[in-house]
Amino acid sequence: MRFRDSWETFRRSRVGPIGLMILLVFVLMAVSGPIYVYIRGEEIYHPLKGVDPVIKGVSPPSIRHPLGTDHLGRDLLAQLMYGAQTSFLIGITAAAMAVFIGTSVGLTAGYFGGAIDNLLMRIVDIMMVLPGLPLIIITAAAIGKQSIWIIVFLIAILGWAGTARVIRSQTLSLRERPFVEAARVAGASDTRIIFKHIAPNVLPLTTLYLTLGIPGVIITEAAISFLGLGDPSKVSWGMMLQWAFTTGNTYNPYWLFPPGLCITLMALAFYLIGRGMEEIINPRLREI
Amino acid sequence: MSLATYIIKRTIQIAITLFVVITILFFLFRVMPGDPTAFLLDPKMSPEAKEIIRKQFGLDKPLYVQYVLYVRNVLKGDFGTSFYYGVPVFERIKELLPNTLLLWVPAILLSYFIGINVGRRIAWKRGSKEEYIMIVLGLFFLGMPIFWFGMIMIWLFYHELGIFPAGGMMTPELWLDPSTPLWKKAADIVYHLLLPIITLSIGGFAGSMLLMRNSMLDTLREDYITTARAKGLKESVIRDKHAARNAMLPIVTAMSISLAFSAGGGVLTETIFSWPGLGREIVQAVLNYDYPLAQAAFFYISVIVLFANLVADVLYAYLDPRIKY
Amino acid sequence: MNMLLDVRNLKMYYRTRRGHVKAVDGVNFSLNRGKALGLVGESGCGKTSIGITLLRILPTNAEVIEGSALFDGTDILKIGEEEMRKYRWKRISMIFQGAMNALNPVHKVGDQIIEAIITHEGISKEEARERVARLFELVGLNPDRMDNYPHEYSGGMRQRAIIAMALACNPDLIIADEPTTALDVIVQDKILREMRRIQRETETAMIYISHDISVIAETCDEIAVMYAGKIVERGPIERVFENPLHPYTKALMSAFPSVKGEKRRLETIPGEPPNLLHPPEGCRFHPRCPYAKPLCSEVEPLEEEFGNGRFASCHFAGEW
Repeated sequence: MRFRDSWETFRRSRVGPIGLMILLVFVLMAVSGPIYVYIRGEEIYHPLKGVDPVIKGVSPPSIRHPLGTDHLGRDLLAQLMYGAQTSFLIGITAAAMAVFIGTSVGLTAGYFGGAIDNLLMRIVDIMMVLPGLPLIIITAAAIGKQSIWIIVFLIAILGWAGTARVIRSQTLSLRERPFVEAARVAGASDTRIIFKHIAPNVLPLTTLYLTLGIPGVIITEAAISFLGLGDPSKVSWGMMLQWAFTTGNTYNPYWLFPPGLCITLMALAFYLIGRGMEEIINPRLREI
Repeated sequence: MSLATYIIKRTIQIAITLFVVITILFFLFRVMPGDPTAFLLDPKMSPEAKEIIRKQFGLDKPLYVQYVLYVRNVLKGDFGTSFYYGVPVFERIKELLPNTLLLWVPAILLSYFIGINVGRRIAWKRGSKEEYIMIVLGLFFLGMPIFWFGMIMIWLFYHELGIFPAGGMMTPELWLDPSTPLWKKAADIVYHLLLPIITLSIGGFAGSMLLMRNSMLDTLREDYITTARAKGLKESVIRDKHAARNAMLPIVTAMSISLAFSAGGGVLTETIFSWPGLGREIVQAVLNYDYPLAQAAFFYISVIVLFANLVADVLYAYLDPRIKY
Repeated sequence: MNMLLDVRNLKMYYRTRRGHVKAVDGVNFSLNRGKALGLVGESGCGKTSIGITLLRILPTNAEVIEGSALFDGTDILKIGEEEMRKYRWKRISMIFQGAMNALNPVHKVGDQIIEAIITHEGISKEEARERVARLFELVGLNPDRMDNYPHEYSGGMRQRAIIAMALACNPDLIIADEPTTALDVIVQDKILREMRRIQRETETAMIYISHDISVIAETCDEIAVMYAGKIVERGPIERVFENPLHPYTKALMSAFPSVKGEKRRLETIPGEPPNLLHPPEGCRFHPRCPYAKPLCSEVEPLEEEFGNGRFASCHFAGEW
């Protein structure tokens, strides 16, 4: 019954279902990428290694290549579809990691309070004002080699502070609730109270921050790839734009528009879903 | 708390953050596998030049001595010698820093100006079609990678319409000609500056717009807004003097986060428009393995962000007579 | 004609997702110049809604369904917004509930009063300042505190400032919504007495809105008892107290300390105030009324006149 109500609220938010629909399109796109490549032949259509021997270079959209080819004669549609996979993969894992760290820190700070809280929140303050993208750039330089897991890790490690702050204030108010008091009187240990009584109550908020965190990750990943610091073994939309930019093909609309539009729409989809979720979680937004 | 103590407290906090930045930089390159001196010593350097750097940064001394020396050098603005340019890093930074400020400061101000005004407007027209469209458009802009937006701007305004230059900071012929008057040179820079500024500010206004809208809706629920309405004040006075004035406070508080974010946008915009600033330089330096320059560029970008934070803090104190922290 | 305000069959509903909340549902009352009317009832009965309806500062989901409010001969519910703006504060002002937030925290207290004066009267800022200084003295505040911010005031001072603000344009009517609820009892008493004094000196008509019938007793000439969006009894205050016609009036009187200060056992009214989305059939008070008869749950009682300016809506008015 509660699920029904939530769904009803989500549906009534108007934007939520739109986001879900856009997302569904991207899921289909990510899934059908390998099928498309398999059907049409690896040696020509593979997004990274496939080269069309007839074309061998940039070409506009044609029946053979619906979105055209890049400077090496690789199929842009295949790259676009594989890019959806990369965005999902990095977006979800990095956001999940960031939200996990943020939630843990927030729970710890909010529950124990005192000096621990103070210390953790000062760290959060500092994390919040560090210029994230430049820091990732310089860290990538220090690490030297590039892989998507390093990118995921870097984005997560720099992106948890906001969640921590919100979860902390939520925990602070939960800590004073009667059911937590009751558990404490009944002799429950701190860990038990945190995991059994407080964590389930911050879960909706955590889910919301996860949803709202994914688009940020997707954009950051795109920026890193665009700057040439991405994982060269995985096609991503940012990388497609980098290739267009560095090979002087920025003025080919069929190459310039699809990747950027995909990044934007996927991010938008998550924002819209997040907005719909917000109305479930924060009833004040619903008004009367 | 008095204004003075508030400002001092904030300054100390910002100084600590700057110290953290230096410490991150120091350890970042030393905990990585490989030769720990490689980030300061270029294989191409002459043995004498290597010796000078080795001494200056105490590379043969224990780690804590190195750290102290590093902090001291950084605070003096000395990051060693650029591998790529072969000159002291600071020489390079000196040229780039003003260019960066020239782009970032107006762009960020403009983006807040647009965001706050549109946010105020759509909150006031709550429930209207305009509000709905602006929210969706705002989320669209929030999700849009700024570098892509910049590429579209160049495609449209340079390639298709031919009104703006594709990038750079100045027209070389104009500057090489000694008879060019100063105002013409200035106008040339402004001409090159317009498209990047538009990109950076349009690309970044959405966040402050959505925040302003939410904050404004919160404020409109306050009792003092009812008082203002009961007083028979004009709608515009209620909206601006009573609601928007108060709704600005959370925006200023959130500035610290959005400034850090804007720095990322700045780096990308500079790269797209070949704008000779710190942002483009940090990317170039990293791709050229020019570690001293990359570190310095990062340090000065952080300084800009932190200084802007301090400005935001002062602004907050000015806007809110209560300043309780 | 001495009548300042005449409200007839006023209905104001809030639209919500679950239906209409009938906050004000067919209310009649009138008020003469210079007199004080007390509007009393439990919280959520619609008293505040009447106040904000008269000033037309309703939230967007609120709507006046029908009725009229003749103020000095003009129906202020029918005039245009720009015309209404001239009535606000100049003719009708309001003292808000909860002094804490009624003042804008980022503007100086004096400036917030000056703003109201300048908006309605074409006088200079200096003249307005002088008037505010006089008002401050009138309400017992030091005029030197004009340039302080609200957070630099105590709760009592803020309430005085709000009273000064309500008086700023010499209005004909002041609506005071729980003017002292947020304050401690001693300050409350003092401020109430001063309000009564000022009201008499300036001959301003007043509507006191309160859940506390003893506050009304201290300050008003007339009383209107409100229950679930309706006025169930109204009339001159001594007569109503002497001989209440509606059981709810009696219940309210015994729920608060006696006016004359005699020690009496306080009786709370059993049951909950009704949900205004779906008010009870018949008389709205019948589920809680100790004297309810079958008729009460079936037929809604109409307002009847009982002479001497007294009205009540009860099938068995005074006969229970």
